[in-house]
Amino acid sequence: MLHQALILTSHREYAQAMRQGLLKLGDEHTRVDVELDALRAMQLAPQQYELILLDRVLDAMDGLQLLQLIKHQTPTSKFIIVSDSVDEASRAGAYQNGADFFLERPSTPKAFALALEAIKGLFKPSRVDEPPQDEGDGPVVGIADIVQMRCLSGDSVLLLVRSHYQSGDIFIFRGEVFHAQYPGKSGEAAFRDMIHWDGGLVRIKAIKLTQTPPRTIEIPYRQLLETVEKPGARGPDISPTGGELYVVSGETPPGSAALSVVREAPPREDVAPPFFPTPGLLTGGETALPRVNSHWKVNLTGELLEGSQVAEPDRCAFITTFIYRKLADVAVALEVDYFSHMTLLGPHLQQVLVADNMGVRHAVFDTAWTTEELRVQYVKWCCEQSF
Amino acid sequence: MNKAFEKIALIEGMIAAAFVSEEGKLSGSCANSVISSENLCFIAETCRVILSANRAEQRPAHTGVVAFGNRTLVFREGAAGLFMAYLDSPTNDAVLKWLFDQVNPLLEAEGVKLE
Repeated sequence: MLHQALILTSHREYAQAMRQGLLKLGDEHTRVDVELDALRAMQLAPQQYELILLDRVLDAMDGLQLLQLIKHQTPTSKFIIVSDSVDEASRAGAYQNGADFFLERPSTPKAFALALEAIKGLFKPSRVDEPPQDEGDGPVVGIADIVQMRCLSGDSVLLLVRSHYQSGDIFIFRGEVFHAQYPGKSGEAAFRDMIHWDGGLVRIKAIKLTQTPPRTIEIPYRQLLETVEKPGARGPDISPTGGELYVVSGETPPGSAALSVVREAPPREDVAPPFFPTPGLLTGGETALPRVNSHWKVNLTGELLEGSQVAEPDRCAFITTFIYRKLADVAVALEVDYFSHMTLLGPHLQQVLVADNMGVRHAVFDTAWTTEELRVQYVKWCCEQSF
Repeated sequence: MNKAFEKIALIEGMIAAAFVSEEGKLSGSCANSVISSENLCFIAETCRVILSANRAEQRPAHTGVVAFGNRTLVFREGAAGLFMAYLDSPTNDAVLKWLFDQVNPLLEAEGVKLE
């Protein structure tokens, strides 16, 4: 059965029809997201989707290139390339780039029905239960055991947890659980839920963390684990299918990491990032850069490109990318285009993030002297700059 | 909380609003559009994660304003939980004040203080 899918296309009508069809392959909990912007799709966490349908030709980029990119992040998801042309070269190209299925774009009800039958075939139990062949099985363990083991070792890892029904992340940093999240929940509440995910098969993939994740869980891991009931202790009624939990893979090297949080940190001391011009000076546009405490910009992959007064470039790039990705999820939920700018108001600091299709700029202001006019001026200045 | 949100729904430009408690429970909501309560909950939780991440970075914030074209998502966190409103208009500080001047008394009547 299908639980979560993403349709990535520039054909709105096809997307709506396919979405309706895919929803019928699941149950009332099934979620099918539609994304019309390929660049924005790159900001989504693809691990949450077990099925991703993407067009061979997208507006902003080649669908096969995007397939390669996303497949690298979530090798266990099923990928279907949808094409308007059915020549052998297109078909071969799709499979060579890692597609699980090649589909001619359906345009009639009958074609849709046949396409959905084919997609359904991808999720027959005999196939979906097969662990990825290149990763192999690990020992039979529970999530709590893995978390405890990692914390005891003082590790810094991101655990990608995937059950039959949903997927989520647990961030462990220097032996403490810092953050847990899955669509709809985060923090301790998410962790408590995830510990009990036992829909028959839970996969955990560990990715080394090189940067400090955001912290939403403050209590020590021992206390956290003590307060949650281990899945194994819940009895057979909770795990009707056996509650089998196992680790699919070991640690993945940072080079093949799924999220930007694991990318190599930008140089900090040896190579200083290029700097913005001094605040207050005209910079080629009509608007002067207003007075800011610090500001920087990151590209779509979370790489810090420029900054001024940035004390910790890697942390700054991380938090900006984190917010960027989170707001991409919000945009999908609201079925709107990506956010253009965001203001965060705090007692001591105010922040402004300005985004476009190429990245995001982020500025920090002192609340004491910041005015709305200054924030507006910064947004205007950003819009005049080129990513 | 339902009474408060019945009135919040009447605020000009309001597309949807919700209050999510500290435990992540949707205590009240209204939507003048097709936005499911699950999605409202998800969005509120995401806003909370953003604020939490900023706290971890020593840049605590209590209010967020996100522009999606001409629509705006506003959220504010208090001790009891997070209130969020999705408005069919751009906002500035004056609009923000106008919004919370209306929302705060309604929530306070339900025992929720955002400030």
